[in-house]
Amino acid sequence: MKRCRAGLIAVGAVLVSSLAACGGSASSGSSQPGQAASEVFTYDTTTAVMVDGWDPATEYSDGVIAMSEMYETLTHYNSATGAIEPELATSWTAADGGKTWTFHLRHGVYFHTGRPMTAQAAKAAILRTIKLAGGASYIWAAVKTIDTPDPYTLVFHLSYASPIALEASADYSAYIYDTQAAGGGNALTNWLNAGHDAGTGPYTVQTWNKNQEFEVILKSFPRYWGGWTGTHFSKVVFRVVPQDTTAAQLLRSGQVSFIEQINSPLWSSFKGDSAIATVSSPSWQNLLAQLNSKRLSVTVRQAILYAIDYNGIIAALHGAGVASSGIVPPGLLGHFSDLPNYPYDQAKAAALLRQAGYGPGGKALNLSLTYTSGDSNEQVVATIIKSDLAALHVNLSVQALAWPTQWAKGKSSSAAQRQDIFLEYWWPDYADPYSWFANTLETENPPYFNLSYYSNPALDAMINQVEPLVATDKSAAEALYRSMQVTILQQAPMVSLYNVNYQYAMLSGISGFQVNPAYPNVVFVYDLKT
Amino acid sequence: MTRYTIRRVALAIVVVAGVVILTFVIADLVPGDPAVAWAGPHASAAQLARARQYLGLDQPLPVRIGKYFGGILTGNWGTSIHTHQPVLSDIGTAAPATLELVVAALIIAVVVGVPLGLAAARWPGSILDHAIRVIAVLGVSMPIFWLALILQLVFAQRLRVLPVAGQYDPNLIFTHPLVTRTQMPVVDALLSGNWAVLGSSLRHLVLPAVVVAAYPVGVIARMTRAQVLDTLGETHVQMLRSLGFPERTVIGRFSMKLAWNPVAAVLALVFAYSLVNSFLVESIFDWPGLGSYATASVETLDTPAIVGVTLFIGLVYVAANLIVDLVQAALDPRIRLR
Amino acid sequence: MSTLLARAPGVSAVRRAARANQLITAGTLIVAVIVVVAVFAPLLAPYPADAGTATHPEIALQAPSLRHLFGTDQVGRDVFSRVLYGARVSPVIAFFVLLIACAIGVPLGVAAGYFGGVTDEIIMRVTDVFLAFPALLLSLAFVAVLTPSLTSLTIAIAIAWWPWYTRLIRGQAASVAGRPYVEACRTLGIPRWRILLRHVLPNSMTPLVVQVSLDAGGVILTISALSFLGLGAQDPVPEWGLMVAEGENYFTTQWWLVTYPGLAILVTALAFTLLGDGLRDTLDPRRLPVR
Repeated sequence: MKRCRAGLIAVGAVLVSSLAACGGSASSGSSQPGQAASEVFTYDTTTAVMVDGWDPATEYSDGVIAMSEMYETLTHYNSATGAIEPELATSWTAADGGKTWTFHLRHGVYFHTGRPMTAQAAKAAILRTIKLAGGASYIWAAVKTIDTPDPYTLVFHLSYASPIALEASADYSAYIYDTQAAGGGNALTNWLNAGHDAGTGPYTVQTWNKNQEFEVILKSFPRYWGGWTGTHFSKVVFRVVPQDTTAAQLLRSGQVSFIEQINSPLWSSFKGDSAIATVSSPSWQNLLAQLNSKRLSVTVRQAILYAIDYNGIIAALHGAGVASSGIVPPGLLGHFSDLPNYPYDQAKAAALLRQAGYGPGGKALNLSLTYTSGDSNEQVVATIIKSDLAALHVNLSVQALAWPTQWAKGKSSSAAQRQDIFLEYWWPDYADPYSWFANTLETENPPYFNLSYYSNPALDAMINQVEPLVATDKSAAEALYRSMQVTILQQAPMVSLYNVNYQYAMLSGISGFQVNPAYPNVVFVYDLKT
Repeated sequence: MTRYTIRRVALAIVVVAGVVILTFVIADLVPGDPAVAWAGPHASAAQLARARQYLGLDQPLPVRIGKYFGGILTGNWGTSIHTHQPVLSDIGTAAPATLELVVAALIIAVVVGVPLGLAAARWPGSILDHAIRVIAVLGVSMPIFWLALILQLVFAQRLRVLPVAGQYDPNLIFTHPLVTRTQMPVVDALLSGNWAVLGSSLRHLVLPAVVVAAYPVGVIARMTRAQVLDTLGETHVQMLRSLGFPERTVIGRFSMKLAWNPVAAVLALVFAYSLVNSFLVESIFDWPGLGSYATASVETLDTPAIVGVTLFIGLVYVAANLIVDLVQAALDPRIRLR
Repeated sequence: MSTLLARAPGVSAVRRAARANQLITAGTLIVAVIVVVAVFAPLLAPYPADAGTATHPEIALQAPSLRHLFGTDQVGRDVFSRVLYGARVSPVIAFFVLLIACAIGVPLGVAAGYFGGVTDEIIMRVTDVFLAFPALLLSLAFVAVLTPSLTSLTIAIAIAWWPWYTRLIRGQAASVAGRPYVEACRTLGIPRWRILLRHVLPNSMTPLVVQVSLDAGGVILTISALSFLGLGAQDPVPEWGLMVAEGENYFTTQWWLVTYPGLAILVTALAFTLLGDGLRDTLDPRRLPVR
């Protein structure tokens, strides 16, 4: 979800090596933090804001990268094995055709506030998340009631079958936190947004320097249930560095430990350097082009999709992207490589435009496109699309805006202010493609993420059917995802331009890093060894 | 002197009033509807009408100007859209960093530019003179952002002799935390005796300050050369020469004194220009000053912030000119009499 | 910037005139080259379409070679062609900026200087207000609130630049207005506008020409700076400052994206500054207002 991904320039984490039980191996031993100056995790973003909101219930953007260190969920999705693993819940069972789920919670878990995590606390957190109805709270939409027969058992009663164990592993709105912190209620929200956290995770917030380069600094939580034996990092620093090249230099000089995505040529330049390890991995993130279905007819939309040089885009990305098929990326249920995707066919596009009355001799077509500023990949894509359309005498004006501005413009109540083509990245909230359909294609009034303003009641009906099917009949769900994608391809409200290939770079001394597309761009620092 | 001062200050006040009005015009030229920006994209017509009323958009122009003026004078410069903070406080946070950069650049410019100009004037027509004139003209014609990128590439990335970006080594936050008083790392480090941070911040200051100094060096060198050559032609200098003073003394002690005046005059202008030139450089060096704030505001269409920064620098420039004029008048009686 | 024709007679003066000529020659030569490049860009550029909307993503980010002298950019466009076509952008915009600035500033300056009194006071105060902002800042503020485009860029910079000419012309006009022969003209009943046109204006031309050529360099730097910030030319216009901005992220790995356009800016600004210097040295030995 949640767009703000635009920047992805560089992310780093300052990992100050701990001394914990290891007699100062990597970090020159002393008890002074900051000695291991070589482990720096710097998070780079263009808008210079890493964490905009601190509420684990409603955060729906890049903030989860930091939150994933401080908060935990009931279950965890292992994308390598495709299995749902225990986290705060040690085991679970489904009954009643997927309408009742029983979770057994882990013992000995404490919130950073000091209170122990019990079933009551977990229930309160989930109920609050549902009540606030922000972020990805729709994942709990099926929940009717929650019971807590004993302090370590959580029972969900659903109004329809739903894969709760999977949804509970979501990277948004699934965190378990202490609702009693700061007295609960409004005070809790204010306290959280002032830069505090009430999670159970290995790290807790030490300082939040709003709008500054060293935006968030986390320190280890001594009572973490996972314990601190072995060599763990004791501090995590999120650093905001707007320039790709600066971030690259910081990594080379060992001042940061990890860079999130930087442009491909720069990433490739790390390959010869023995001090740096480069990681490349497929992801579940793709770049969507949402076409304004209120202003552009189906014919025009199809023409646009035929006009785009998809392979050219992939070539220009130099490895940062791979071709898409449909909307769902590979690795998720519902991905099919044999869908009727659009080829690059200028002749077909020209014919369709003529049919709609545009083109040479007909009316002039002027379109507008917005993308998120600071992202050099999106800029390249926008330039190529502009050039492709210009070849068909379609005049595309391109505007780069900071994400909040781009989004506000897309949601504008004045239809005239809205763009014709909206570029944004999307990734799922949990390991299922439901997120794309529910958020970007379901009818929305007023628009939120459905920035093609597409409204198709038949599609809406299919979207409503698919969630229960995932819990009860996987192959039926798959078939439904397939027909939904065929419909979308035919109606052309949006297209996935490419699937993102994660390209990370980090100091080679750090081991234990695994890319997990279910938690995009998240580095579970606790699992790393220096 | 008092008369001159009063006249000059009155003039400055008039200009300031005009400056504020001009920024109001800029703020008011916003094509979008400020009510929508305030009430949010989901607002209903009734909410928009209320927002319009709240923002005072339904009132006649003179009233709006009056309110704007009042706001400026009481310190209410609006709220930044992208930081959600009052613009004035944002400026207060960002300004010291730019000030540090510009002052450093001007120091370099004077220390380098004046001797260059003097040397050029001492041996006019020589190869040295030609070389200095070339350097000066390059400085004045240099695209600052390009110079910044090139120098950063050469010195920071390839040669690795200077840091790439930032104000000082971030790890020092943990080992030698800096007590911030003026928000300028160099000054704060000096005040608290934090030598580690002092050294680091000076090293980080080198590249950005040198880049920003390019234009002032060119201007000051040309100015100094021109002024000194000019005074060299005057009769009293001819007399000094005929009295047997060596050329060195003629230039150093006598011409230079008279040459300082126009150089000082140009300093105010060059200060303001460097303030704005730093905008181009700050994002390249991740320097958290007004420039970074302004570029971020531009990207987010943050009109209150853009107008606030414009107003701020306008006021600073008026103040700088006023100070320079008063100092010049105090030193040179001829000016007061004009 | 005041000039320096020293009172020392003879050899010095000749030397200065000669050097001034060198500057004019050098400046004019480079400006002429730029003009030629601008005019004949379609013939000189190997890939003229690359200066427009054409893209060739398959050959993106290639290093300089015989086929692409300055390499290719992030969407495969020939950088050499784009740099050549860039000569049609910044210098032309600068021309219009200065034209508009003079069109606004000169009449105001003449009016202020010639009529004096209240007119003079009002115009001068307004000029002071505009001059209270460095040009880049004022144009930045204007463009930021308008939709960034070449037109708004031109207007914004012209708005920031006109006051300099008003000040300059006013000084000239005021000194001419006081001369005896102008008084004589008035007593003879010659209409004011004629006096302005035939006496005041021509005498103000020389310093104006010098100032305009000196300013051309500054205007070009301002145009490229604003485009660098994203406020001026928009892709695919081959504006040099915009090209530097687009290449910034790739600079350490693909240095040619930034180096060549930046050099073009430098050379162009340099040419006009040299030309202006030379003109100033030969045409106007008197002090000019500090710039």
